[in-house]
Amino acid sequence: MNDIVVRDDLSLVATGTQDFVTVMLDGQTVGIPVLAVHDVLNAQQITMIPRAPDWVAGVLNLRGRIVTAIDLRRRLGLPPLEEGQSSMSVVVEHNEEPYSLQIDKVGEVLSLDDADFEKNPVTLDPRWREVSMGIYRLKEQLLPILDVDRLLAFESNGKAA
Amino acid sequence: MDDLLNEFLTETGESIDVVDVELVKLEQDPNNKEVLDNIFRLVHTIKGTCGFLGLPRLESVAHASENVLGKFRDGELQVSENAVTVILESLDRIKEILAGLEATEEEPDGDDSELIGRLDAIAEGGEAAAAEPDPEPDTVDGEIIDTTLGRALKPGEVSLEELEAAFANAPGPGDSAEAEEPAAAAPSSDDASLFDRVGGEDTIAVAAHLISQRVENDDKLGKFFEGASADQRKGKFMGLMLAMFKDDMDAADAVGRQLVTVAGFGEAQFDTMLETVKAVLVECHVDADTADEAVMMFELVREAVINASKEVAQPKAAAGGRAKPGDQQAAASKEPRKSTQSIRVNVDLLEDLMNMVSELVLTRNQLLQITRNMDNSELGVPLQRLSQCTTEQQENVMKTRMQPIGNAWAKLPRIVRDLTVELDKKIELEMLGADTELDRQVLELIKDPLTHMVRNSADHGIESPAERIAAGKPEMGTIILNAFHEGGHIIIEIKDDGRGINPDKLSKKIIEKGLATEGELASMSEAQIQKFIFHPGFSTAEQVTSVSGRGVGMDVVRSNIEKIGGTIDMVSTVGKGSNFSIKIPLTLAIVAGLIVKAQEERYAIPQISVLELVRATSAEKAGDSDHKIEMINDTPVLRLRNRLLPLVYLNEVLGFEKSEGSEENDGDDFIVVSQVGAFTFGIVVDQVFDTEEIVVKPVAPILKDLDIYSGNTILGDGSVIMILDPNGIAALASQGVSDAADEEEDQEMVRRAASSDKESMLVFRAGQDHPRAVPLSLVARLEEIDIGSVETSDGRLMVQYRGALMPLVLADPDMSLRESGNQPVLVFTDRQFTMGLAVDEILDIVEDEMDIKLASDKPGVIGSAVINEKASEVIDVTYFLGLAFPDWLASKDLSEESTVSRSAERVLVVDDSDFFRNMLKPILTVAGYNVTAVNNAQAALDLLEDGESFELAISDIEMPDMSGYEFAQAVRANDDWSGMRLVALSALSSERDINRGFEAGFDDYVAKFDKDTLLRSLAQQFKIKGDAA
Repeated sequence: MNDIVVRDDLSLVATGTQDFVTVMLDGQTVGIPVLAVHDVLNAQQITMIPRAPDWVAGVLNLRGRIVTAIDLRRRLGLPPLEEGQSSMSVVVEHNEEPYSLQIDKVGEVLSLDDADFEKNPVTLDPRWREVSMGIYRLKEQLLPILDVDRLLAFESNGKAA
Repeated sequence: MDDLLNEFLTETGESIDVVDVELVKLEQDPNNKEVLDNIFRLVHTIKGTCGFLGLPRLESVAHASENVLGKFRDGELQVSENAVTVILESLDRIKEILAGLEATEEEPDGDDSELIGRLDAIAEGGEAAAAEPDPEPDTVDGEIIDTTLGRALKPGEVSLEELEAAFANAPGPGDSAEAEEPAAAAPSSDDASLFDRVGGEDTIAVAAHLISQRVENDDKLGKFFEGASADQRKGKFMGLMLAMFKDDMDAADAVGRQLVTVAGFGEAQFDTMLETVKAVLVECHVDADTADEAVMMFELVREAVINASKEVAQPKAAAGGRAKPGDQQAAASKEPRKSTQSIRVNVDLLEDLMNMVSELVLTRNQLLQITRNMDNSELGVPLQRLSQCTTEQQENVMKTRMQPIGNAWAKLPRIVRDLTVELDKKIELEMLGADTELDRQVLELIKDPLTHMVRNSADHGIESPAERIAAGKPEMGTIILNAFHEGGHIIIEIKDDGRGINPDKLSKKIIEKGLATEGELASMSEAQIQKFIFHPGFSTAEQVTSVSGRGVGMDVVRSNIEKIGGTIDMVSTVGKGSNFSIKIPLTLAIVAGLIVKAQEERYAIPQISVLELVRATSAEKAGDSDHKIEMINDTPVLRLRNRLLPLVYLNEVLGFEKSEGSEENDGDDFIVVSQVGAFTFGIVVDQVFDTEEIVVKPVAPILKDLDIYSGNTILGDGSVIMILDPNGIAALASQGVSDAADEEEDQEMVRRAASSDKESMLVFRAGQDHPRAVPLSLVARLEEIDIGSVETSDGRLMVQYRGALMPLVLADPDMSLRESGNQPVLVFTDRQFTMGLAVDEILDIVEDEMDIKLASDKPGVIGSAVINEKASEVIDVTYFLGLAFPDWLASKDLSEESTVSRSAERVLVVDDSDFFRNMLKPILTVAGYNVTAVNNAQAALDLLEDGESFELAISDIEMPDMSGYEFAQAVRANDDWSGMRLVALSALSSERDINRGFEAGFDDYVAKFDKDTLLRSLAQQFKIKGDAA
């Protein structure tokens, strides 16, 4: 895919529309701001890291860069992927360090109207609330938006998940 | 060129360029404070550096300009065009001096007083200077100070610079400027040279002037000299004649080439010119002969002049009108000399470059791996070339990061100097190998540890002058820093000749701090105790000085060094000094890694911490000689060369279930013997692949807490693997005991416990069928000696061995030497005595308990023991030594009086000779004593202090540190031990020695090597003791 310049400020601006890459996680569709996504990869050979936190799936080689793979299912408290099913990766960056988010599969890119955006409902699972920026009301379903920076801010909440 | 000077030139050159630009800015915007400050700072720096380097001329010029700039800055003077011009001029002067510096490495002579005067005048009031309009130094009018010549140029004299320029441009003789200098500038004292006969410089100047005029006016010649001004032409002729008449043909040749700048100057024209020259010389009252000779000289440059003209014909034909092509070319050719020396490059850029090269190396490795599996050799050649280039590139880029270690040492002399004042000591710091280069990253990391260690040496190591004199050492203490390369590593040694590390003092501290118990310490060697300084929070200085002893001790140094994959070791002798040696890798970026496998995943272990690889077979399948993993209460250990190696399973370290499966599957384990500091341990892995060059990349921030990884890397096949950190594994392996040294001591204990009962025995056969044994520690070497080389002399068998005659003794009277071939021989050595014991066959080396069941009265046999489940005769080496060297046991008394029966009395043997300890122990054991042997008197005293009790002590007299006499006195001084009998055993057996022994408190004195007397004496002593009781 083309190189995309990442905008420094990924917070949502009040006007117009925003683009999101949708990804599937255990039946739930989640949105990731398109500008945060560097790469989308098919199943990769991932090297395990024994003794690492369980939501660290391992490390993989992305064109000579070593990328840390985050098992998003585990991170969000979802059951692990069934045996034999391969996951896909969405590569994002946090503090100039590349991370690959392991997801079930990548959906389409949606351009969503800001008007449909809503804050997290207070009853949302804390693990989700922590990493969700808010919810878009789509016609068929609701789309939580993943806050990549908070998801990867291990320094502050390293013990999460 | 001197590095410092070189750096100065580069830096100053840069500064001046900036000042040039800034000054112009200032002129346009005189009130811009920022610009002014900047200029002032730069000029100030130049001045400062010049003063530092001892460049008075530069300094004075810079100082004068700084003065003016200072006034500008303080608002005392208005920035005026004139003032700026003069400052610019001074900058030009600085540049000229710099150029001179660069060429000769010395500041050229010259007088700047006029320029400085003007600068000062501006600084004073400014008005005086305004009167002098544009005093550019390069104008033709006015008096020109030639910077290099150092005096005003005479009319018609060409400036040296011009000549130099001309020579520099000359293709032939190269850099002849220096050669020309004395000839052209200083009137030479060459007696009766053509130069003098012509009439010296004055005449030549006049002649040159005339020739120049005539030539210009000549119809035929004029056009060839049109390009140059009258002065230049005059200068050229003058230079040419000066050079020729002084016999400097190289210079003459060069100037000759410059003479004509227009094409078409041929033979005819040259002849015409010569006529003119001759005519002029005669006019100048040069006598005819001399004139002829002078003209002859011109003939010598004829070719050069004509050729030069031809050369000009091509490239310069179109540019014929250019004034001084020579000068310009010269300037151009001078330029690169300056700029190629060194440039400054941003460190970040270098880091990037390094990273890219690392990637390149990886990709190359990847490619190589792919093609290795392909038969198609089409790629082979270009790939090889690529590989080569990459390696070279890598080396070169590495070089850019290399810095001499001296940079890290630069501060040390000062620190040591300050310390000497503070501590009132006299210390000399000697630094060797300061130009040893290492990666700047590593350099940064070892700077602090090094500083700390030197401080330590100065503070703790070196004694005060009074102490030193008292100890018989020179008043001045020495600390030696030495750095050198050794196989991919840098070794840095920090040696001092101070007091060394006192184990006793240290022991007290250790007990105080509860790091070890007294008992544990007693069983440790001095070196082990000394290593305690690497324990956290250790400081041996009695007082906490401002220098050291702030709680950060050698443990910090050690962990810092280990962090960069280095190791630190120490040898210290009390009273002599300490020697620390640090071993660090050359670079951190690319390391050799051993690829291993555990649980289907590969890992890299840095090669630097790998000592060796051992393959261990599973216990069931293992033969006697194979390595096998054994268990001590579920703790796996490996016997490795008579030592026990603690093992950790990588699978367990990584949190996998211990893979029983894989162990049984192939039955083999691979053990990577690793060393962390002084701690050696084995890592059991499932499989070992090869070593690969790996580029260490830091792990992601979330993994930083995992100590077992030092980074990760991409392998040749593109997969990512984790790099294990042996430090972390060692820490994890010792389970909570963070300090590996503790582990080491534990292991040491285990080792002792395991080894104290067992002894390595050499089993052989000689004469009879039954095996015989001898403690392996007594055997110096095993040799196979060619039977042909055995000679008989004085009725005894001899063989020439290592340049000396070695007596050969048969191990059994019934055996005979082989007819031909090689005879196996055990070589025993005690001091100067070396003997060979011929045996029939060497059977094995076994480690077994030496439990002698039956004493023997057969000569040469101590007794029988069960060794390796067979009854074996343990031989008495002293007997054979006696056979080989009658003088060795001169006083041997073969009395048949046998030993007295006794219960297992405890006997302590103190002897520094391994040989005797090993010899006495079996003899005494056979005689029924319970024997403990130590190798020095201090250790014996320590044992006694620990409450061990012995009925009798046998002590050697001649021992280092503490003699037998002192030992006896010490024992007698303590009432608790008064019941112990003391027997001296010594080679010193004169009456005086014996008397002295009794005086010291010995109860008996036995000459060494006399086994029977000793046994008799022991029996006697015990009898006395028994009677007394």
